[in-house]
Amino acid sequence: MQEILQRLSDAILAMDEDAAAQLAQEAIDAGLDPTEVIDSACLDGMERVGTLFEQEEYFIPELLSSADALYAALDVLRPHVHPSVAERQRALPRVVIGSIEGDTHDIGKNVVSLILSTGGCEVRDLGRDVPSTEFVRAAQDFAANIIAISTLMTTTMERVGTVIEALRKQGLRADYLVIVGGRPLSPTFARRIGADGYAETAAGALRLVRALTADPRPKRPGVGDLIVL
Amino acid sequence: MPEITFIPDGLNSTIPVGATLLEAARSAGIVIESPCDGVGTCGKCKVRVLAGAETLETSDDRHKLSEEERAEGFVLACSSTVFGDMTVEVESTEGHNKTLKILSEGASFAYELEPFITKRFEGGQTTIYAGDEPLGVEEGDTTDKLYGLAIDIGTTTVVTALIDMLTGEELDSVSALNPQSLHAQDVLTRIKFASTPEGLREMHESVTAQFRSMTDDLCARAGVDKRFIYETVYSGNTTMIHLATNVNPATLGKFPYIPQIFGGNHIPAAEYGLDIAPFGLIYLPPIITAFVGPDITSGVLAARLHERRGTTLFVDIGTNGEMIIARDGTLSATSTAAGPAFEGMNITSGMRAGTGAIEYFSIAEDGSIELRTIGATKPVGICGSGLFDIVGELARVGVIGKNGRIVPANRGTYPEMLKERVVELNGKPAFCVADEVFITQGDIRQVQLAKGAVRSGVEAMMTSVGVSEAEVGAVQIAGSFGYHLRADSLVNIALIPAALGDRIEFVGNTSKSGAQAFLLNTPCRAEMEEVTAQVNSVELSNQEGFDKLFVACLGF
Repeated sequence: MQEILQRLSDAILAMDEDAAAQLAQEAIDAGLDPTEVIDSACLDGMERVGTLFEQEEYFIPELLSSADALYAALDVLRPHVHPSVAERQRALPRVVIGSIEGDTHDIGKNVVSLILSTGGCEVRDLGRDVPSTEFVRAAQDFAANIIAISTLMTTTMERVGTVIEALRKQGLRADYLVIVGGRPLSPTFARRIGADGYAETAAGALRLVRALTADPRPKRPGVGDLIVL
Repeated sequence: MPEITFIPDGLNSTIPVGATLLEAARSAGIVIESPCDGVGTCGKCKVRVLAGAETLETSDDRHKLSEEERAEGFVLACSSTVFGDMTVEVESTEGHNKTLKILSEGASFAYELEPFITKRFEGGQTTIYAGDEPLGVEEGDTTDKLYGLAIDIGTTTVVTALIDMLTGEELDSVSALNPQSLHAQDVLTRIKFASTPEGLREMHESVTAQFRSMTDDLCARAGVDKRFIYETVYSGNTTMIHLATNVNPATLGKFPYIPQIFGGNHIPAAEYGLDIAPFGLIYLPPIITAFVGPDITSGVLAARLHERRGTTLFVDIGTNGEMIIARDGTLSATSTAAGPAFEGMNITSGMRAGTGAIEYFSIAEDGSIELRTIGATKPVGICGSGLFDIVGELARVGVIGKNGRIVPANRGTYPEMLKERVVELNGKPAFCVADEVFITQGDIRQVQLAKGAVRSGVEAMMTSVGVSEAEVGAVQIAGSFGYHLRADSLVNIALIPAALGDRIEFVGNTSKSGAQAFLLNTPCRAEMEEVTAQVNSVELSNQEGFDKLFVACLGF
């Protein structure tokens, strides 16, 4: 039993789509709990991919190919997941993510989006050139607990703070955790605009989300606290 | 209010409590190099606190200082908030220009000597004409003195040439760092810096002060009186032209990236900070888009792209990779954000093209290494051309795999001599290029992102225009690296498709040679205004599947 799980995790790490799908099927045929397979094998595989990515051994192409293998396995597993698990899904961190208004660069944001979704978050990707009002609207609509804002350009970084201002104006600041990242940003900047978290790397963003949502119910850190990963 | 004393200049600055050391230095008129403009990401603004450290609060972002540096009292000026009097030691930025190797030559073509400015001696005085319009009058006969300047305003370096407009001869040229880079390294940081009136003034005045001092140097060396300089041509990217002409470039920095000016006109030199003839003019060549500027217009002119038969791919490799496909007179243009890796930024051992920079690197069949440094000194770092060579050669011999990973020595099929150079640096794989000069896995990732941006731009342009590799007759590489690059390295890092490797030509600094042609041949101006108006601008980020293409272009 354990061997199938290990091999599935390995297949994801090895970017082998066909093997991943086939091993997922074998796991189902062997009567394994699909939820258990997702948690122990799929997430474990992507976890290892994330580590290699962070160590710069894996790069964007490997990350994408591994994600393809993951999704091939999930396509097989998900139809077998018991409906009660829908309940559990609601407890997963729910993230809306986008590149800020004025910025049309999204490759970095896409990588973060991918790492978050494959790392066990429910993600709604708003794309690029996203106005602050749209971040707020989408966060409400998606019942998100985290708003993740990205920018590549120095010229648009000041707009990142407008999302937090918009939340404050509408009296919604306490309802969401705001995390930021992107090449021109820094912890100092994140602190200045009053964000809840900053991560320098995509893998750091996943750890950040996990740290911020470590309790079943996300809690706002004290004033001036900023988690940096 | 706290008083800050800066050593060695001994200048004082009194600033409000809570200001940063960088702000204190700027208000005292002291230049501390701060290419990221005080965001805390570059780590260049380090200064040493000699007295008063206890009144300082620092937020040391991203750990840009080593333990030793911290122990010696170094802090980042931008991230240090002042609460009391103190004394601070600042490294001098003088001498930065002395060792820089800057390319000042570019390909050109034969044109008639037909300057816009002419002189006529009549009735005891000389009238200066701009086209048919009289521009000014000088006493006596000065018809034997008619000079112009061609200025290539690069983001990193400025090149100014003094031209005799009677003979067409370039009398001399000088190069210097663009002083704007001390406050803001890249184009976007500069746009942000210039978004306030004070910031714009600083950007405008610092670069024009540089133009004036270069003009003085050139005139002194050539024995020319600067009041006989009547026209200057500004060539450079769109942002540089905005800043040099004191125009707020804010709209260039956000989607949909619209320029405020479009060139193809004259402005009075005296009003814009130049010290030439009092009635002298500045000509601004036409701007194509926010990210394809007059430097590329000059390049089109110098390379005669609009007249070439067949298909030519023209690529200017720099922080922004601009490219043009010319196909029987029809031009398409685009630009990609390559980032500063090619200039040695964000590279562990990266440096500008100064003394000690590795500029050439090759690996022989047995694995022995040949390298050359600028000034033939002990290698201390890697500049752009060296970076292309190193990554290219390592990819060619298999130290770097197709996917960009450094292949561990025990799994590598590359020569033994290279295996001992594959080491670990801070727990990650690296290749030891020379004593204390490394190329790390992370550096290779930076190169992949930069070259992937250019390559995917090339591929997307070719697809958009419907050009096949077989059809491309020539690949012209322009830009500050120009002649220092090797065609093999461009192919080895897969920046240029391998099939086009034998068609690569280096055309050098065509921004400058084109500016010279604008200065000396008036018909060029109308010609290029017409050509640029018809350029088909390709917006890559709007193209279906561009991100997939980019990812596919990351490998070697």
